[in-house]
Amino acid sequence: MSILRGETLKLRGWAPKAGWLAWRNYDFQATTYAVLLTIFGLVMAYSNTVGSTHESVSLDSPFVRSLMWAVIAAVVLALTTVFDYRWLRSFAWPLYLVNIGLLILTLRIGKGTGEAVNAARWVTIGGFQFQFSEFAKIVMVIVFAAYLAYREESAKSPWTIVGAIVIMVPPWVLVMLQPDLGTSLVLVALVAGMLFMSGASLFWMGTLVAGVAGAVPIVWAGLRDYQQARLLTLFNPGSDPKGAGYQVHQAETAVNAGGLSGKGLTNGTVVLPVQSTDFVWGVLAEELGFIGAMVVLALFALLLTRLIICGWRAPDRFAMLLSCGLATMIFFQVFVNVGMVIGIVPVTGIPLPFISYGGASLVSLAAGLGILQSTNLRREKPAW
Amino acid sequence: MSTKPEGRQAEPRNIYRFGAFVLAVVVGVTSLSGRMFYLQVIQGQHEDTAANAPSTATQSVPSTRGLIYDATGAPLVKNVVSYSVTVTPSDLSLTEKPIVAERLGSLLGANAVDIETRIDSASGSLFEPVKIADNVPVEVERFIEENSDSLPGVKVVVIQHRQYVTGPLFAELLGYTGQITQAQYDSLQGQGYSKSDVIGQNGLEASYERLLRGTYGDVSVALDDSGKAIPGLVTAHTPQIPGESLTLTIDANEQELAQKALQWGLNGSSVPIAARGVIIVENPQNGNILAMVSLPSYDDQKFADGISETDFQKLLANPDQPLLNKAIAAQYAPGSTFKLVTGTAGLQDNPQCQFAGNAVRSDFNYCNGSFNDTSGAFNASTTLLSQPFIQIGDFKFWEWDKQGWGPLNITQGVAYSSDTFFYQLAQMVGLDRLTFWATQYGFGAPTGIDLPFEASGIVPTNDWKLKNTSYPMYTGEILQAGIGQGYDAATPLQLLNAYCALANGGNLWQPHVVQSTKDSGGNVTQIQPKLLNKLPASQQTLETMRLATRAVVTTRHTYNLVDLPIKVAGKTGTAEFGNIDKYGRLPYHEWFVGYVPGDPYNGDFTKPDSQLAVAAFIYGADTWGNVATEVVKYYLMMHFGLKGDPFNIRTPGYIQTWTQRVTNFYGSPNRD
Repeated sequence: MSILRGETLKLRGWAPKAGWLAWRNYDFQATTYAVLLTIFGLVMAYSNTVGSTHESVSLDSPFVRSLMWAVIAAVVLALTTVFDYRWLRSFAWPLYLVNIGLLILTLRIGKGTGEAVNAARWVTIGGFQFQFSEFAKIVMVIVFAAYLAYREESAKSPWTIVGAIVIMVPPWVLVMLQPDLGTSLVLVALVAGMLFMSGASLFWMGTLVAGVAGAVPIVWAGLRDYQQARLLTLFNPGSDPKGAGYQVHQAETAVNAGGLSGKGLTNGTVVLPVQSTDFVWGVLAEELGFIGAMVVLALFALLLTRLIICGWRAPDRFAMLLSCGLATMIFFQVFVNVGMVIGIVPVTGIPLPFISYGGASLVSLAAGLGILQSTNLRREKPAW
Repeated sequence: MSTKPEGRQAEPRNIYRFGAFVLAVVVGVTSLSGRMFYLQVIQGQHEDTAANAPSTATQSVPSTRGLIYDATGAPLVKNVVSYSVTVTPSDLSLTEKPIVAERLGSLLGANAVDIETRIDSASGSLFEPVKIADNVPVEVERFIEENSDSLPGVKVVVIQHRQYVTGPLFAELLGYTGQITQAQYDSLQGQGYSKSDVIGQNGLEASYERLLRGTYGDVSVALDDSGKAIPGLVTAHTPQIPGESLTLTIDANEQELAQKALQWGLNGSSVPIAARGVIIVENPQNGNILAMVSLPSYDDQKFADGISETDFQKLLANPDQPLLNKAIAAQYAPGSTFKLVTGTAGLQDNPQCQFAGNAVRSDFNYCNGSFNDTSGAFNASTTLLSQPFIQIGDFKFWEWDKQGWGPLNITQGVAYSSDTFFYQLAQMVGLDRLTFWATQYGFGAPTGIDLPFEASGIVPTNDWKLKNTSYPMYTGEILQAGIGQGYDAATPLQLLNAYCALANGGNLWQPHVVQSTKDSGGNVTQIQPKLLNKLPASQQTLETMRLATRAVVTTRHTYNLVDLPIKVAGKTGTAEFGNIDKYGRLPYHEWFVGYVPGDPYNGDFTKPDSQLAVAAFIYGADTWGNVATEVVKYYLMMHFGLKGDPFNIRTPGYIQTWTQRVTNFYGSPNRD
């Protein structure tokens, strides 16, 4: 297997067509939806900041930090759009190694915050807190896309599936050690979604799923107590009113309270745990109501549509898999995050893309979206 | 190595897979929307009002618990406030934790690392406060309150403690307060108790819980949206009412004298089985308890401060049951002291004389002046023959000295405590009348003293025995019931109260230890003595019995008790229990109940004017001679300020134990 593959450096790769022509293929819709969702995220950050302190916005507040991260994300978006995505295919394996390195670093010096005090998730560099597991997701999209594009010829082989899982295991284990159940689930979803879209054998995928289902009792024994508790409270929310069940109960109360049109920004009163990140949907639903929530869900649906269309039109298999991987990631996170607030999936720490407070998540998404736009710009005609 | 299938290249863009992906997204978003619609539009409107909460919270404000004073007004319990420092992990961010721990460490003089470990190792929810330090000084409390901004998550909890001033001296009376139990909470729900409340658990703290507690107040506090109380925003207020204070009938000095006397007796009797004893002092005229000591006791302060599990287990494992107030909560065979009941029954009922026909000699029995006259009825001058034993079937019921004293009338019968005299009398009286008189004297029912966990004692009847053993009472058992043995059981308090009724001319008062209560407004309520029963016995009968109990002392059945310059009447008792030891004896309890006339120096026992009655009880005493009598004597000497030496108290050395004595002489023990 060739790990590194050099791309010929062509000027056309960097400036496809003659300047303005390239922008004809730029997906303004996707970017617009992403920007609108980010604005919703900023609004929620503002609401959480003002609502929790009853004070004016300070420089250190989540809102100002979110604004700053949004600016950084915009820069990242621009840079990745201009950057030739095909280089990523070349750098997939070095990126993979760097990613593993960063995850090990997180385990060594990372800290937890707030409720997740005993977890090692955040690394502080220069006053900023990074959550490298967020970057890990987007890197794994690129790595899987590169791997599956490379395995194009033998897509139907069971060994393709085995290979994908072998690639996933090291970062997955490192993420589980933090412990971060949410991100580890995202990684599994990525493997499944991208294998599916790469045309992997459904028979062997099905066999694997059946095998995993058989192994569930064994894995269960290996879960941490609080993870077990969180999964259990999904089925019986009343069992632990101050713990995980309390979160679900409070979240549902908040959603109920929102009603059709919501209470208005900063007017939320229901006390929610980690209400700027994992449970931001509860605050959003309470303050903006059913109408606001539907607008946000619609924006997600439109963005996903654009991503899928992007994948359909992709210039090559790598680009197609990048789109589908990003779509899988966003869809999975939206479904799990919203689903946990409204009590249809267990409570796991997965941020809501664009909305949850967190720089790493936003920048990762911007990078992903930029890479997609990069494939759009370089779309002359499909390579196949 | 992968094998590439010939000619089967994967479709680059599989329309079905894309379709499936789109379908998944559509299903996912639709289900989320559907659930949101259900929660917000269908359900939302109904629960709108409920979901607006909690913007305020009701907090209860504890009332000051009432104090307890002794008869002279000296406080026996104090309320002290102590401060505990807690940290709520969810309010303390990770970055601040080491800093806060450092600050707390220097403030409390503790190791910062220890504090961090304490916070991290706490089990349970992150919203639950973790206790860091107890009993912190008030300056620290003030400092933390004033600097709460720089100590996030740190709170000072004010804890009201009871401090029992007199130490264990009043432990079994005062009891202690403690955490409410689940069962108590369940039964008291809706009466203002919270799950973390403190409640009287034993003694007066329990029996007067309602008065002592007062009424908790309510404060409605506005909450910010993180659920924290906003200081100063108290929106409604019900004031708390302080609990009432109690004044006891007991003078702490008397209690101390009583304890000293009892401890002296226990120490001296070299009790081999157990070191348990009781002394109670009561005013026969109104049922006021003047002292009540049950040994061994316990330190109620430990309970008030929160006793450790090991200490508690140690108390529970102690065979002498220190947690049990043996004066009221334990029942023992009353032994010969019960002859008061049999004697009263005989004098009152005047049963037809009948003599134990198979007794060794019945020819000295005479009713109404003539030998072997069985036609008359029993009365004060009837003479019954005391003899070595009375035989019923194959069983011999022995006189306690195994010899007998010949013909005795009732006064002499009581004075010598003749068992065979009372066997015969019990047989004449019959079980039903014996039961009747026992009940009249208050046996078999709790006295209703204002202390918890009182036992009721046992007065055996045919029905009682049928219910418990499915056999009726046998004749022999009726004889035993007549001398306070067999199934008879009484609490020391019941026994004392019965003798009080004798001493005061037939009034069975309800004993009580609280004399008056005082509410927060200063209104004093005197506890009125409650008459439980008026004995249906003539004053003449009672006078005869009083003189008989005086004869116990004057015949020197109680040795040198008669040498005191004060006049004492009383009755000794020895009751066997348990298993026969290697000398063929049963272990035995010793009793003495005594009282002095209204004028202790010059009065006599014809008048029912006694103001002081004392009962002592020693469990499993192994002494040659009744140690309970010596305990009462020692108490009386201290009470009246009589000096010890000239009156030759039988010191513990003199009251030799049976085991010491038996090496020199083997004979009948002092079985009165």
